[in-house]
Amino acid sequence: MGKAETESLIGKRIPKMDAPDKASGKTRYIDDVNVPGQLIGRILRSSRVHARIKSIDTAAARALPGVHAVLTAADVPDQRAIGVSKDNLPFKGDVVRSLRDEIAAVAAETEEVAAAALKLIRVEYEDLPLLTDPLEALKPGATLIHPEREPVALKHPEALRPWYDPDNCQTGNIAMSFDYTQGDVARGEAESDAVVEDSFRLHYVTHCCMGVSGVIADFQSNGNLLLYSNTQVPFLHRREFAEVLGIDPGRIRIIQPPIGGGFGSKLDIYPFEPIAVFLARAARRPVKLIFTREEEFIASPTRQPVLIRLRSGVKKDGTLTFRSVTTLHDNGAYTSWGATTPFVMMQTFSSLYRVPHCDYHTVAVYTNNPYAGSFRGYGNLQATFAVEQHMDRLAEAIGMAPLALRLANAQNPGEVTPQGMHFKTCGLKECLSTVAERSGFEAKFRANRDNQRMPGTLKRGIGMASMLHVGGGAKIYPSDGCGTILKLDDFAHVTLITGASEIGQGSETVLSQLVCEELGLPMSSITVVNNDTDITPWDVGVHASRTTFIAGNSAIGAAKKAREKIFAAAAKKFDLPAEAFALRGGLLVRADTGETLIDLAKFLRSMHFSEKAELVMTSFYYEPPSHHQDKEFKGDVSAAYAWATQACEIELDTTSGMVKLLKVTGAHDVGRVLNRLGIEGQIEGGIVMGQGYALTEDLMVKDGRIRNPGFRDYKLVTAPEIPEMDISFIETMDGEGPQGAKGVGEAPAICMAAAVANAIANATGVRITELPFTPENVYRALAAARAQAGQRAA
Amino acid sequence: MPQSKAGRVAFEPLLLGLRRIPELHGVARDGDSLRIGALVTMTELMESALVRAHCPILVEAADQFASDQVRNVATIGGNVCNASPAGDTLVPLLALDAEVELVAKPNGLLTGRRVPIGEFFKGPGKTLRARHEIVAALRVPIGVPGRFMRFFKLGSRPALDISAISIGVCARRDAGVLSEVRVAFGAVAPVPLRGRATEAALEGRQLTEAVIETAAAAARDEVHPIDDFRASAWYRREMVHNMLKKVLADAT
Repeated sequence: MGKAETESLIGKRIPKMDAPDKASGKTRYIDDVNVPGQLIGRILRSSRVHARIKSIDTAAARALPGVHAVLTAADVPDQRAIGVSKDNLPFKGDVVRSLRDEIAAVAAETEEVAAAALKLIRVEYEDLPLLTDPLEALKPGATLIHPEREPVALKHPEALRPWYDPDNCQTGNIAMSFDYTQGDVARGEAESDAVVEDSFRLHYVTHCCMGVSGVIADFQSNGNLLLYSNTQVPFLHRREFAEVLGIDPGRIRIIQPPIGGGFGSKLDIYPFEPIAVFLARAARRPVKLIFTREEEFIASPTRQPVLIRLRSGVKKDGTLTFRSVTTLHDNGAYTSWGATTPFVMMQTFSSLYRVPHCDYHTVAVYTNNPYAGSFRGYGNLQATFAVEQHMDRLAEAIGMAPLALRLANAQNPGEVTPQGMHFKTCGLKECLSTVAERSGFEAKFRANRDNQRMPGTLKRGIGMASMLHVGGGAKIYPSDGCGTILKLDDFAHVTLITGASEIGQGSETVLSQLVCEELGLPMSSITVVNNDTDITPWDVGVHASRTTFIAGNSAIGAAKKAREKIFAAAAKKFDLPAEAFALRGGLLVRADTGETLIDLAKFLRSMHFSEKAELVMTSFYYEPPSHHQDKEFKGDVSAAYAWATQACEIELDTTSGMVKLLKVTGAHDVGRVLNRLGIEGQIEGGIVMGQGYALTEDLMVKDGRIRNPGFRDYKLVTAPEIPEMDISFIETMDGEGPQGAKGVGEAPAICMAAAVANAIANATGVRITELPFTPENVYRALAAARAQAGQRAA
Repeated sequence: MPQSKAGRVAFEPLLLGLRRIPELHGVARDGDSLRIGALVTMTELMESALVRAHCPILVEAADQFASDQVRNVATIGGNVCNASPAGDTLVPLLALDAEVELVAKPNGLLTGRRVPIGEFFKGPGKTLRARHEIVAALRVPIGVPGRFMRFFKLGSRPALDISAISIGVCARRDAGVLSEVRVAFGAVAPVPLRGRATEAALEGRQLTEAVIETAAAAARDEVHPIDDFRASAWYRREMVHNMLKKVLADAT
């Protein structure tokens, strides 16, 4: 019958369904989509960082042959602000607050004409004082970057104490603040035998998606708007576009061509998107607007630069007592989802390890810098960098091994943390012990430490870090759900129509696998439709490592409904109870004996042509059993939580400061491995992303200007630097997860910087609390430590 | 063209293709020097038996030059005319005491001149080349066999990087004594720099630990780098010192 495969698909190595097209160049990304009659849109960005716009002269640009529309704020009086705080007008008419600010845009016949037209636009500016350091922006009397906004009322002005007198500082530049408390930190501190405190400084990095940002806006003849968009949250964006444009969301259709990477960068809408729509409206032609790579560096979001002040305590026996945290986030000129990363950072501070007393105060401060957005890990890389370095510092302070301190405070399954997270499954202890064993951690750690003061300029180091991240969605929006429609045709070919977007993470493959597993069909009998809001059911979008978990459960739910319908029909035909059947290898069989009853395709045909052919579709909507946080940020926001430990081994050349990452040993509590090939790719890719954050990547912003907007000087990790990896999967079989799985998308990038920091300390005895660990930064830190030691000796 | 696209060089409406001029291609022995055509690519440099035999330091530099794709199109003449203080082949050419062969045809008459490479660079992107001249070749004297030659490049990653500093050393070694020492540094001054004080500290000496330290200190003092976003002046001086020690330690 040609469908002999009867084995389970779960845990197999299944190549990504989109891989052949991508490898052979057949995939048509947004840049390859051309709509008849389209014009090319380009944006004129500010050449000043903070300035009042005195005048904009577009006459010469408008007069250029081939130009169909030139727009500025004055031409779009109905524009509305976008962003989480609605503080970002697509076109800036009075003041520019950062170098990426959009002043004008043109739609022209060709790219060349559009570029020429931009050069003809004359803008007169009057410079305003620059604020490029959040600490400066808080100084009394600092210029207000958004004078039009109501100042944020600080609930705990004391949060500013590490840096300023809260009664005498410029709170008008505070964009957002969060305050969280559990227990009584003062009591925790009183109970401590050792207390450590450090400041950590995290730098700018950016996503570097291989596919640059872009959109095509195409008004249909009935006035509806069709958007070809790289968004990773199509349904939320449909609503947001409707608000911005003042039209009915039902009249907006979003089609997502294959997306060349998201990593969180496509969670917000950005000014270029409404601008493309305004251009299309003005020119009455479709408008395609695609970034150049340089523009992508300048005008797409970054990871948050954060200043963290962390104070932690421990008892002699290794019990953590308290953690007191303040963070200062450089918000940039406008507020995006990135400003809400404290939601995630908070979880790491309060619940990665058991800590009875914890407070966390945070402010995001407006500056004239590029604005930060959401980025894989969502604040967790920064929080973990601080917390995991402190685990090593605390262990050292009480003379305990770093592994033992972590094991002593690791969360257990069943735990409900003071923040309200319920860890129904938790493999942290297995992750820790697996990594320690497989990397030979303890012996290497001791040997490297003993070698610190020995002669020789090449030092080895090993360091570990663990992480906690949501692994079962995150209840941030009113719903955290996803819908699925299944179409079963008369040849037993299944079309899976899902709300979940594929952004390169492999979701369509894993969802297909889950459906085929339920229906006993091979992977060749399924097609996925996942990129058109007119067709696909609602989904909240790709974020929070939720797709496999949420969309997976939704797909399984739909497949189960289909199976029930098949069994109900079979019960009539074969005069057996519905429970007596199973689907295997493309066949309807008896569950008990495995005896073949009928080819599934033949049976589906008979169902199709029977009186009630309702089997054509089943639909299912899954909502995870998680809860919104209360006003104090407490609540079980995810249906499951993911855990991981990674150990990094490095070789450090003390004569140059060069850190070579030799090996990463990781253990990930993924619930269950669904597609082994896919999860390995996801984890290896995440490790390399974390490696770049730790060692090479640095978006250099000086005076509000990006100094390295290109791959020559923005240094991604290249192939020779990728370390050996030893990855173990801890399968805790989550009760709520699809086939037991949890989300894993963000997890692998989170530990790396912290583990490398700990490895550098292990190699040299010098603790560096500032990223990135470029050769010069490391060399400088070693030189400073030597100078300090020399002073002490003198 | 890339510079013109980036707006650093004015676009010239008249462009001349040089690719089909045979005299600009190929590596050949010409008396006691090697003539390396200006259009010889990095890949060709690495594959040339003559270059490998007589100036392996150029092979080392070409090997660390950008990526395979770039090495297949980037030429030594282009690298020299670009006159970046960090240009990878410039430092070895200085250490080899090469000459730049320039040609022009002002009035229908082909004229040529040779300029010592040490005089050719006038500043970042600036050379002695006149507007009507092209660089036809680089001429490298063939020295005695068995000389010590070494190119060292330090960036923040092992591949596809622009030097924070680079070092080229070329010297005769007779019974452990160095002579005809030439040292050059990249990315530590507006032009690739000959290290005269460093050379003096090494000339006629055995490479003892003390001599190496003196030379490295001389090198640190004679370079005059700037702070830029690739590295600070302080770090560059430190690295000239530390890495020269490493290079010289290999010569002992």
